[in-house]
Amino acid sequence: MFNFGTFLQLIVDGLATGSIYAALALAIVLVNQATGMINFAQGGMAVLAAYLGMTVGNLVSPVAGVTLGIIAGIVAALALSYAMGAVVERFVMRRFMGGDPDTAVVATIGLLTLITGLIGLIWTYNYIPYPFFFTGLESMSLGGLAVSAWSLTTFLTIVAIMLLLQALFRWTKLGLGFRAVADNRASSALSGIKVGRMLQVGWGLAAMLGAIAGVLVAAKIQLVPDMFDTYLVYALAAVIIGGLDSPLGAVLAAWGIAVVENLAAAYVPFVGHDLKIAVPLILMVVLLVLRPQGLFGRKVVVRV
Amino acid sequence: MSALSRVLNSPRARLAAGILLAIVLIALPLVSAPFANQTITRIVVFAVAVLGLNVVMGYAGQVSLGQVFFVGVGAYAAGITIKSEWGMSLGLGGVVMGLVLAILIPGVLGLVIALAAARLRGLGLALVTIALPIIGVPLAKRLSDITGGSQGMSVRVFAAPDWTGLDNDQWQYYVVLALGAAVFALVFFLVRGKYGRAFAIVKENEAVASAMGISPYRYKVLAFTIASAVGGVAGFLYIVAIQFVSPDVMSFGHSIELVIATIVGGAGSIVGSLLGGAFYVLIPQITNSIYPESTTVVQGVIILIVLFLLPGGLASLPRKLARRFRRSAPSRTAGPTTPGAVPPAGEAEDTERQGQR
Repeated sequence: MFNFGTFLQLIVDGLATGSIYAALALAIVLVNQATGMINFAQGGMAVLAAYLGMTVGNLVSPVAGVTLGIIAGIVAALALSYAMGAVVERFVMRRFMGGDPDTAVVATIGLLTLITGLIGLIWTYNYIPYPFFFTGLESMSLGGLAVSAWSLTTFLTIVAIMLLLQALFRWTKLGLGFRAVADNRASSALSGIKVGRMLQVGWGLAAMLGAIAGVLVAAKIQLVPDMFDTYLVYALAAVIIGGLDSPLGAVLAAWGIAVVENLAAAYVPFVGHDLKIAVPLILMVVLLVLRPQGLFGRKVVVRV
Repeated sequence: MSALSRVLNSPRARLAAGILLAIVLIALPLVSAPFANQTITRIVVFAVAVLGLNVVMGYAGQVSLGQVFFVGVGAYAAGITIKSEWGMSLGLGGVVMGLVLAILIPGVLGLVIALAAARLRGLGLALVTIALPIIGVPLAKRLSDITGGSQGMSVRVFAAPDWTGLDNDQWQYYVVLALGAAVFALVFFLVRGKYGRAFAIVKENEAVASAMGISPYRYKVLAFTIASAVGGVAGFLYIVAIQFVSPDVMSFGHSIELVIATIVGGAGSIVGSLLGGAFYVLIPQITNSIYPESTTVVQGVIILIVLFLLPGGLASLPRKLARRFRRSAPSRTAGPTTPGAVPPAGEAEDTERQGQR
């Protein structure tokens, strides 16, 4: 009945999809720390970046070969997503900063609608394959376990990027400035940090993080305008469970959610594959009742 | 100009306008084509859904992304009840039971969800409720024994009784209009009264609310529960109007469209809810006839334009125009006004909350 190999594989696959949730969750935490907003368009921006990467990749491939084309696509997705993040911050979101947070949320929802609509208008609502080194189906043997190439690549890429981000924030001057702005915008402005620039960096980096997730998901399931709607829900669940102010917490929660939902889909008959999306909601509700500030979050005391 | 705005703002003129609108709405289906009747019926259905969302979003200031889920649950609850043997045996009573359950089930679900979600500070409700439509669709498909799965289910609610001499579309129109008007009246009195004031304080400043002995948690839960129940009524009306429900009703896209419709119509405004319903129904209808692929883009562009230029939504447009007129008119006729001049009497109208400032 119980097959240990299958069990391990479910966990490995869970960690891979969890890495996608983690990347998006981290992007959301990044924006939230810089601006106090929740960007519901984070997933939509990631999808747009992947579409741009696909377009550039397909343009370059016939000229410079498939490998170079794929690399050009990824580079383009990253560069354009950074620009997109900075532009969105400067020309849309800054207008809503410091105002009513609900209005800002609705603005990001409007942005999500606009981006999804634009993608549909330009590239239609049909599935489009993304040119990549491998698809989601190829697998390799790793210590007796059949691990899909996609899972392994995704997991390693996202972990590497998280370490890189951590290093950026801890050991560079840019990171120091960013942390200062996240901590206290007014005092950092007084001490000469260009707050507006830091906010742009935050949105840009978050968009890049999303773009990586977008490319990886597109490589697995092909491109479709609403492909990140469910991922967004998972990422938000991870953010709630891990705590909005804890990047590490969000990542751990993302992995946890993905592994638990994979196991639930396999071993709880009623859940199955189609209802596993309910798992994060149930986890979330249970947690909110027990510990509203999230597993790793700090309880914030607001002075009046 | 000011004479005109004074006339427009007087309660008697509003009453007259309301009565006129009612007469037009009642007389209209007798002369217009079935398609127009169905469109107006659908507008009323979604105006009720938007109205529910407005209770929690516009009045209590909590963003909810799950309203369409409650519309779907209400529609299924009503449809399943009416279609069941028990419902059929009751005849018209079965339809009434359908309405009762379409209010109760979404209301209780909303209560349970709000009890958990309202514990999160800030945007908690938005973060939790975004999951509802995404769970609702596969859940409705899974429970295919009673919901008809992804095929959906058609429900023949009731045909026009013979004594009325009406066609079915006219009868549906009147039923939906009557129930919709009742819900609008109930919510109108709710938000004008004690609860509305409590919602306003919770929206403005939770700390002040607590200090006044108004529990933000309790009122957020209350607002969300009412919104869910009103969403359920919209679901019942949906079944009456469309006679069909499928999982697609509560898709994520529709959920977001409903939020956009609420803001475009006017958050925290009863008239805005009506305009929101019209926006929700008419924009896809118009874009589909021109270029179907453009619907989502158009909605996205409109919501951002509204947020930038008209934060109070379409409902605040007349007031905003009137204010602009007042500001520019004297400078043309009687030179610049004194900066500290007392605002004209009509300005007092601005204290009516429009939300989402």
